Amino acid sequence: MSAISVNGLTKEYGDVLANDAVSFDVEAGETFGYLGPNGAGKTTTIRTIMGFQSPTTGTATVLGADVRDEAALVEARENVGYLPSNPGFDETATGMEILDLHASVKGDARREELLELFEVPVDRKIRGYSTGQTQKLGLVQAFMHDPDLVVMDEPTAGLDPLVQQRFNEFVRDETASGTTVFLSSHVLSEVRRVCDRVGIIRDGRIVTVERVGDLLDRSGKFVRLGVAGEVAMDDVTLDGVHDLSARPVEGVAAGAPAGGGSTVAGTATELTFTFTGDLNALADFVAELDVLELDIEEAPLEEIFIRFYDDEQVSA
Amino acid sequence: MFEFAWYNGRRRIKGAGALTVGLGLLTALYVYMFPTITSEVNLDEYAESWPPALREAFGVESLSTIEGFLATELYAFGWVILLGLYVAYSAASLVADDVEHGRMDMTLSLPVTRSRVLLETFASMLVPVFLVNLAMPLIVYVGVAGIDESIPVADLVMVHALSIPYLLAAAAVGLVASVTFDRADIAQRAAMGVVFGLFLVDSVTSGTDFSWLGALSPTRYYDPAEILVRSTWDLQGAALLLGVTAVLVLVSRELFRRKDIA
Repeated sequence: MSAISVNGLTKEYGDVLANDAVSFDVEAGETFGYLGPNGAGKTTTIRTIMGFQSPTTGTATVLGADVRDEAALVEARENVGYLPSNPGFDETATGMEILDLHASVKGDARREELLELFEVPVDRKIRGYSTGQTQKLGLVQAFMHDPDLVVMDEPTAGLDPLVQQRFNEFVRDETASGTTVFLSSHVLSEVRRVCDRVGIIRDGRIVTVERVGDLLDRSGKFVRLGVAGEVAMDDVTLDGVHDLSARPVEGVAAGAPAGGGSTVAGTATELTFTFTGDLNALADFVAELDVLELDIEEAPLEEIFIRFYDDEQVSA
Repeated sequence: MFEFAWYNGRRRIKGAGALTVGLGLLTALYVYMFPTITSEVNLDEYAESWPPALREAFGVESLSTIEGFLATELYAFGWVILLGLYVAYSAASLVADDVEHGRMDMTLSLPVTRSRVLLETFASMLVPVFLVNLAMPLIVYVGVAGIDESIPVADLVMVHALSIPYLLAAAAVGLVASVTFDRADIAQRAAMGVVFGLFLVDSVTSGTDFSWLGALSPTRYYDPAEILVRSTWDLQGAALLLGVTAVLVLVSRELFRRKDIA
């Protein structure tokens, strides 16, 4: 059974079509990233599947419960954790009072363990919390009843890099122990570290749903190649080369230790391109050249992302 | 059960305590002034010169007795208007303020029905309503005894007991506003506007051909002067107010269940 199943979900706010026939499934046990820029409709989907608003047409199920059926959804929510973007808490209360209230309706088997991990100043009033501290309190309440499914809207917003890292490790551990995680983000490099699959939404419509690995394969490798001598763009006769650029640079003598040593002035060329072809063909091509430098990296997801938004860029 | 009622109720104790202290001081001042005023001015003659509508608005029956004086100065003003507006205002923020500040999402993500959230949140209004009405009769009784006057205990108890349905009805008006509007300040203004408007309708139309309009106002069914000066207890009116409260709460609940939380 899917943990979340969204079927033709459409949500209109007056004239604005925030979600247009959105469909995807989140399988039990996976970590699913919901990607899109701000305003694409991520929060609309999330708030609809949480039952805060009803779909205009279409529907969704959460742990088997139809979001239009309040009784079923309330029962399902015993096993759901939720972290909104900018979680709102009663500012006059202390973190502990909030956790006590939440615990009284959903349980708190893991509260202590989570408080140790995320270090929330629970004895202070929430009015005095920083954005990061509020976010960490939100994380603790989302996971403290050991839910089967956790839905998070931009969970790493407001967390400092160290805590983000701790969060990523935590999410990976949770997934390993069987928790289904659904999280939204507009930061792709965040999502690829923890997610198995991603759904990309743009202007309220799902653009693609695929495995992070497939997305990376399809997007290929980013190659930077320094070679001795002059190489023209036409000399690169390899299949699967995109966005090629070639520029002459100060040459580094072949055989010189990488990253330093004496440089010898000479003619050299730096080639950069995105490569989606066969890596063996790339190896053969490189073997023909006098290679000074070679970097092969995964293409940054941001670049893939930009490709999905090409139209938007053109119109902008 | 009742986790939200307890949580919200506890957070109202401080405010309700401050309100009680404030009203207690006001009462003490009125009671303390009463002998001085009545020895210098004949308040009844003075009130005779008021326009009838104003006398009606403040329930002026007899200002020269302590009961009549308190009915007009303390209860018609302090309870019917001030406290009525206060509970309408407070209840108006119950839902709208949480929606406006994103707290309602957090609450509704818990395994609780909207119905339960709404009813328990409204129940927290019982804290100020009961606290004020439990403390004030004691303050009034002790104060009146302190100036060697007396006031019938049964009437004093009833003027507070019967104000509870009135205040709950005002709170229910606030609750309807709270689920209708997504911004607390608009809900608060709407609720106070309605409660004060109905009070004006009742007092202005009183004694005219349009007095039937005043039947729409909760103030028609709670008259402190009737209770204190004439010992007439409008139990039917109180029952009606409780009925109206129940209807308004159920209407709010229905609106809240269908609502898209913004």
